[in-house]
This record gives sequence, C-alpha cells and structure tokens, in this order.
Amino acid sequence: MDKVITIEEAAALVPDGTTIALGGLSMNASPMAMVRELIRQQKKDLTVVAIVNGMAVDWLIAAGCVRKVISGLVSFEGMGLAPYFRRAVESGEVEFEEYSEYLLIARLKAAASNLPFIPTRAGLGTDVIGLHPEKTRLEKDPVTGEAYVACTALPVDVALVHAHAADKDGNVRVDPKLVWMDNEIVNAAGKTIVTVERIVPHSSFVAEPHRTTWPRFMVDAVTEVPWGAYPTSCFPEYTHDTAFYAAYSKAAADPSQFPEFWAKRLAGPATHDAFLQSNGGVDTITRIKRATR
Amino acid sequence: MSIGIAGADYTIDELMVVTLARQFDNSTRAFNGAVSFIPVCAYLLARKTHAPGLVWAASSIAIDADPAQIGESTLSDSIWDGAVMLSNSPFDFWAWAQGARYNTFAFRGAQIDRFGNVNNTVIGSYDAPKVRLPGGGGMADLGCMIPRIYLWSTTHNPRVFPAKIDFRSGMGWGDGGAHRQELGLPGGPQLCVTDLCVMDFHPVSKAMRLKSLHPGISVEDVQQATGFEVLLPEDPIPVTDAPTADELKILREEVDPTSMRLREFPQLSKSA
Repeated sequence: MDKVITIEEAAALVPDGTTIALGGLSMNASPMAMVRELIRQQKKDLTVVAIVNGMAVDWLIAAGCVRKVISGLVSFEGMGLAPYFRRAVESGEVEFEEYSEYLLIARLKAAASNLPFIPTRAGLGTDVIGLHPEKTRLEKDPVTGEAYVACTALPVDVALVHAHAADKDGNVRVDPKLVWMDNEIVNAAGKTIVTVERIVPHSSFVAEPHRTTWPRFMVDAVTEVPWGAYPTSCFPEYTHDTAFYAAYSKAAADPSQFPEFWAKRLAGPATHDAFLQSNGGVDTITRIKRATR
Repeated sequence: MSIGIAGADYTIDELMVVTLARQFDNSTRAFNGAVSFIPVCAYLLARKTHAPGLVWAASSIAIDADPAQIGESTLSDSIWDGAVMLSNSPFDFWAWAQGARYNTFAFRGAQIDRFGNVNNTVIGSYDAPKVRLPGGGGMADLGCMIPRIYLWSTTHNPRVFPAKIDFRSGMGWGDGGAHRQELGLPGGPQLCVTDLCVMDFHPVSKAMRLKSLHPGISVEDVQQATGFEVLLPEDPIPVTDAPTADELKILREEVDPTSMRLREFPQLSKSA
C-alpha cells in the first residue's frame, strides 16, 4: 500500500484536540516541517508530548495551537529560555504537565507495552513526582518494601517524527541509527506520521534490513520533506541553525517585530522550500550542511 | 566581575575545570547534559592527562567522542566527532544510567541548596512562578541513579545558593543525613565547585562544607554569597590548588581552544 502523502494531507490527519508526540531532542531532529504545517492549518487544543524540546513547542504555542504541553524540559539550551513557552506557562494560558525525562519515557514505555505502569527509582525524593501523584505514583514493593515510582501509561494519539529515508510502504530508516527517544513515542502512539529527507526504493530496505528502524506496520503515513527538520538538526546530514534560533529569540522579545518575523520567516511561506528560501536559502543550507550529506 | 585572578596566570573558568578534572579517574564513566561546558572540558582534560581510561558519552550519546574543539551546544552533534558509538537514548543510555554503568554526572541549576539538591524548574511558587525555567529534564532521574554527582556554579551568589530552593528538580542528599540511603539511592553529591570556592559535604549531616577557597576569596566572601550557613572544616582552609602549566596548555590548546566554556559566565557576555 502506498503510504506516501503530501505534508498538507499528513497534517490533515491530526484533528483539533489530538494528543501528538513530537520526535527529536532539544535542538536535534524535530519534525519541524510538519509542525509548521500544523500551524498553517491552524490546529487548536492540541496536547503536545515532547520529552526534551524547544523550538517546535514554542512555535505551536506562539501559533495558539496548544492546550497542554507534556514535557520534561523546554528550552533553547545556552541560547536561552523558549520565549512563548515561558510566557504561556507563567500566565497559565497553556497547561504544563511536567515530568522528568525518564519518568516521561517510562510512562510512554508503559503505554507501548500495554502495562499499567513501569517502576523506576527516578524522581524519588524530588518534588517532580508530587506534581502528578496519580500519574507517577509513589509506591512500595509489597515484598521487599523498597520505594519506587510507578509511571502510569501515557497513550498518544499521533506520533510525528522526522527520519532520513522511507519507502512507499512506510518502512523507515533513521540513518545511521536512532539516537533519540523517537522509538518510545512511535511505540506509544496509535498512529505515526513520518517526514523523511528522501523516499528510496523498497529494494534499498531489502538490501540492508539490519538498518531499518521501523517496519511498515508501525507507520501510517510518509511525507518527503528534504531539510524537514530545519531549523533543528538531522544528524549526520545537517546541524541546527544557530542564526535562526537567535533571530527567533530576538523577534520574540519584541512584540512589535514578531508578527512580521512570523509572517515572513515562519508561518507565511506556503511550502517548506519557500520557508528555507525565506531563511537564507542556499547560504543557510551551506552553513548547516555536514560533510556526510 | 571578571574571571581574572590577580597575580595568577590562569582564570576562574580554568581553575574550575581543572579542579573538577582532578576528581575524575580511570573508573569514571560520565556523560553530560545541556549547557555543560565546564564538566565537558573537565572530562576531556582528565582523559587527556591523568585518566586516559575515563569514559565520556558526549551529550549522553556519543561514547568516547574526541572533538577537536567544543561546539556551541553540549547537547548537539557539534561534539560527537571521533565517537566509537552513537548510543540510543531509551535502550542504551537509560539502561546504563539505571544500572550505574554510568557512575558520574555533573549538574548545576538555577538554585542549589545546602544538601546539593537542585532546582531548574521554577523561581517562586510552582503554580504562579516568577520565572518558568526550562524544566529539570533528566535531573530528577539522574540525581536518583548516579552515585557520583558533582555540582558546579559559575555564579556563586545568594540567589543561586538560597536558604531554601523553590522546587527540588534534582535529588542531591535530599533532606540530608541518611535520606538517600533510606530511599535506596546510590552515592550522592561529592563536590560543589563554584567561581568562589570548592565545597564538599559533611560525612554525617551531608550539609555543604567549605573545602578550599579560590585565590583572593575569604570565608566571609563565601558566606556573604551564600544564603545558608556553609559549614567550616576544623582545619585551616587551603587555597584551591592551582592548575599546572601542563593542564592549562592542554585545556587551552587541545580541549577547548575556542573557549566555549566562557559561555557559562553570563557576567562576561553582559560586559562584552
């Protein structure tokens, strides 16, 4: 079955109110082209699961798409706090359901394994497990008496991830291999939509089956978007664009500047190509490209 | 404030890196999180000097990475060159962290309390915060899993070291004493290295205790810059051991030739 669709069609598979999970980690490998398309389609009331994230969550909040964020960390690392995330959580406009990184991974693992919870020592003694005591339950092993945290299942409606290659059937390869937490969200999600740098022949998967990350039955739709993680990275092919992070942070700090930035450089361009063009085009690509592409 | 030290041929950032590096040895199996230039420099320096067998997973991902220089993000591919393995987060990393295969982690926070607990979640109340910080990330997890925890701060002042932190995002010695042990958690914070001094933890109470003072810094300076009472050792407090010429050369030329570690000193970028 041909699972290749356009990015517009892919984003249309995400209704308002959906719980989506975003792949990537911090400035690495988020499905940014898909996020931009969700914004262009003016999605509402999304619950966004993003284990460790920054720009994707900030965009969705700036666009008014988000009701709730479920995460362990949202920032631009050394480049500062994520501005719209920070403001929206401080003002209470967006609900933040906060966990630590591993507590969230364990909750997704529980969902993926169809288990009520996964136990861990993570979070013991901290204030984090007390934030949602019914979701991360402090319990004692009935036999040994040892304390643990029971991380209850967190099911996700749609996982959105970015990868290097797929075939038409929806077999997907993260190349050279998966280094993020994308597997947890794909396994916990009812539906998975993958944007890829390139569609490759099916024979390429048969030739190297040991390099396949997800088989077709785990993937519902595939969309080809070269540079689709921009401005985050897609290792080993390109790195994140520091200049974009800086320009975005600067624009977000000035409400009079931001609408123009948003229209010109972010949500306005109709295609991902046009979006790249409005952010420096070839010059930018030359700057972020790694030797391995 | 500057990072210079009167009469010395090294700077505070270099002293902090070298002090941390000397804590590590061939049994150290470490990794790093975001904005962790000081510990990243320290792991690399230790590996290039006295601890060639030290394990460091760059960004918690790239094992045995040997970057020619440190990039602008300690959580990105800019520091992965030379790695023997790019490990996978849920399957490899978290299994090795929970199994204490990794044994060393350094963290800092917006606030650190006297038991080495760390806050990177909110300033003010949780429900109506003054500042919504990025979140603890893996702090709450790793503080519970890793036996040798190191803390650092490039801005030792009462805001960073308050009497009480607003939120416990990362577990240090908890409420002090045997709290960690009672919870079944291994080890605990070993040392806290700041721009003013080095502190360890009292063996019984687990409260922070002054260990050495950086050149030109007095006990009073430290006490004034700290929102809780720092314990004093019985013996006279030494000056923090200076870096050797060799350590400085390797740090400056091989580990971090572009001085990315200075990104952790906000006082510099503001004056620049």
